Amino acid sequence: MLLKSSFIAVTALAAVMALTSAPAKAAGDPDKDAPLAQLGKVPIPADNPQTPEKIELGKKLFFDPRIGGDASTGCVQCHEPAQGWAFGDALSRGYPGTVHWRNSQSIINSAYLGKLFWAGAAKSLEKQAPSAAKGAVAGNGENDVMEARLAFIPEYRKAFRQVFGDEWPKIGNAWRAIASFERTLIQNDTPVDKYLGGDKKALNASQVRGMKLFNGKANCIECHNGPLASDQKYYNLGVPPAERWLEDGLAQITFRYEQYAKGVTQEMYRKIKDDAGLYYRTKQKRDMGKFRTPPLRYTKYTAPYMHNGAFWDFEEVVQFYNAGGGSNDFTDGTMAKNKTKILKPLGLSDDEVADLVAFLEAFSGPEIKMEKPKLPPYAPLPDVANAN
Amino acid sequence: MIKKIPNKILRLQKSLAGSLIGAGIVAAGLTAITAPAVIAAEDGFGPVKPLEFNAKKAELGKRLFFDARLSGDAAISCASCHQPNKGFTDGLALSKAYPGSNGFRNTPTLINTAKKAAWFHDGRLGTNLNDVTRESLTEDYSMNMDMRLMQERAKQDPVYVKMFKDAGYGEPSNGAIRKAIPEYLKTLISKGSDFDNGKLSKSAARGFDLFKGKAGCAQCHSGPRFSDDKPHNIGVPENPEIWKDPVRHTTYVAFAMFMGVENYMNIRRDVGAQVRTHKADGSDIGKFMTPTLRELKYTAPYMHNGMLKTLDDVVEFYNQGGGDDPENRDPALKPLGLTEVEKADLVAFLKSLSGQPLTSEAYVWKGKFPSEYPAIKDWRNVRN
Repeated sequence: MLLKSSFIAVTALAAVMALTSAPAKAAGDPDKDAPLAQLGKVPIPADNPQTPEKIELGKKLFFDPRIGGDASTGCVQCHEPAQGWAFGDALSRGYPGTVHWRNSQSIINSAYLGKLFWAGAAKSLEKQAPSAAKGAVAGNGENDVMEARLAFIPEYRKAFRQVFGDEWPKIGNAWRAIASFERTLIQNDTPVDKYLGGDKKALNASQVRGMKLFNGKANCIECHNGPLASDQKYYNLGVPPAERWLEDGLAQITFRYEQYAKGVTQEMYRKIKDDAGLYYRTKQKRDMGKFRTPPLRYTKYTAPYMHNGAFWDFEEVVQFYNAGGGSNDFTDGTMAKNKTKILKPLGLSDDEVADLVAFLEAFSGPEIKMEKPKLPPYAPLPDVANAN
Repeated sequence: MIKKIPNKILRLQKSLAGSLIGAGIVAAGLTAITAPAVIAAEDGFGPVKPLEFNAKKAELGKRLFFDARLSGDAAISCASCHQPNKGFTDGLALSKAYPGSNGFRNTPTLINTAKKAAWFHDGRLGTNLNDVTRESLTEDYSMNMDMRLMQERAKQDPVYVKMFKDAGYGEPSNGAIRKAIPEYLKTLISKGSDFDNGKLSKSAARGFDLFKGKAGCAQCHSGPRFSDDKPHNIGVPENPEIWKDPVRHTTYVAFAMFMGVENYMNIRRDVGAQVRTHKADGSDIGKFMTPTLRELKYTAPYMHNGMLKTLDDVVEFYNQGGGDDPENRDPALKPLGLTEVEKADLVAFLKSLSGQPLTSEAYVWKGKFPSEYPAIKDWRNVRN
């Protein structure tokens, strides 16, 4: 009884909200959408406060390829400042001898995300960094070797002691320092921020029309909402599989490796031909092909788009949605039928498409550039008495 | 008492017939109870008996052994350190390692390795070559390979797909890789040495007598491989390069950290067998497995850290009673008082233990490896 009445109450409330909320809701709209908003203060976890020394250390570690298996592949190799702090190819470059299987995402504003990686496998930057540094097709490093290397870099020894009180640098603290550095890579003064802050000149007429479409007819706001333009929820849009899997042996190797490594059943391993996304974490059929809504900020610099880089520019993306999304093995019944009901053909005119593209560009401000810092060298450890 | 024990050993030998570990135990048993002076030529020295192997599996293992795609970044193969023309060693005092690391021990020969009872200079693996293969492939400073990725690489190479099938393994798998490489290693058996052929020079024959007698070498260097498969501390000096080269030192630290060595940041010493036995009193620190004396002609420099460049150096080292480790050095080592002629005789004997180089096509994959993986055609419709 109690349950039933509260259900009715919630339903009634939702109906009221549907009538009063500003953006029109499409059929099947499951929730109230937070409006686009200026980016607020960077959330800093209480157990990893920012200090200038920690940020400086984290910056060096971010750029240091010794944090990785063969000392060639650090964070920066897949998150290049000059490539939008991401990697400018459909699939990320991956560790030498491999290619990755997903598109590299930008570091910019990642500080605001509660779900890192395309399927939300990490809940904090402190957890994301080691996952990337250790994966066989990413950094392929192991804790012992990476931690040992830090100990032989005198400048790092000094910095870890100062920042963390480590007698010898701890690899766990390297991830904390890297996360602190990443929390400084923020862009919160985009034309969209300025416009929402009251500067009506920050968007041109086309962009203003694009915003209206974004919030209304095109219904982008359904998922790309709030300050990040992401609801951080998981959807299957019917993005087509990566073309490279059809024609590139190296990419086929990694594709199968990921199935093996992520622990799908033998039968699944045999027949799967596309990235099942959230499924690998939940092992629930309903999650096949779902990926976390990516933020739209800084996307001017991060083409190609989608979890596998299927689209090379904003227009392709908008046309994809205009057609009502696409289809893949997890939408057409081959493996599942999980396409989100939110997507419908939008009937946008060419002018409307152009307006939306113009508006998408307003989510990015000037390019954030950074010179690679000078990395401190190794040195032999001072000799000590043979104390064992 | 003494008469009974050989019977016991014979029974043990019978019960362990065909077992590799058995051979090691028997050899160890002999040295434990027999004074060097009474060991005769026929008491278990050579030749090394060949092992049976499956030709197709060994052929597959051979290709895998020489294939750099079995390392994480596809930069090095097993053969990068175990080079056939150097007796499956690399000629360096300290081996190289996976890129970004640098080795802290001398590469041991793989000839007759299938007969050993324990592997690596510290003997930390005492099980089988499947485990040794796994360790070498996956350890972050050796080949740093995620075996799941390794399997998928093998599946992408049509040559492997056929070879695995022909070998009876079905499709390529990481499990089969760890079986095929040991099968290949079984083929690496010494043959054709002057010692085995009974062609000792007079000097070498005198050296053999010294080896069994005055010099006491046979106390540890026993059996067909001239090894008791046990760790001993003979006081080999530390190789200072390990502590001078920060990358080598990081590699040792990573190893020591992983193996549970205490105080690993402060020690400047390779603890050796302690990583296996972890004795509380530290009496196992500095022990290293007795190496085989076969194929020494190809495998200089010597000792676990390559500190001795020539066989003359090795003999002189023992002549002086070994090196300097007053706490843990094996008490069996004493100054030997060998004359120059006796030292030369011993060296001549040691040289007689090297056989024909295993560098022919039977032992070496001479084919080229493709620079790219072909795509699987009709990928969408083929089962993975």
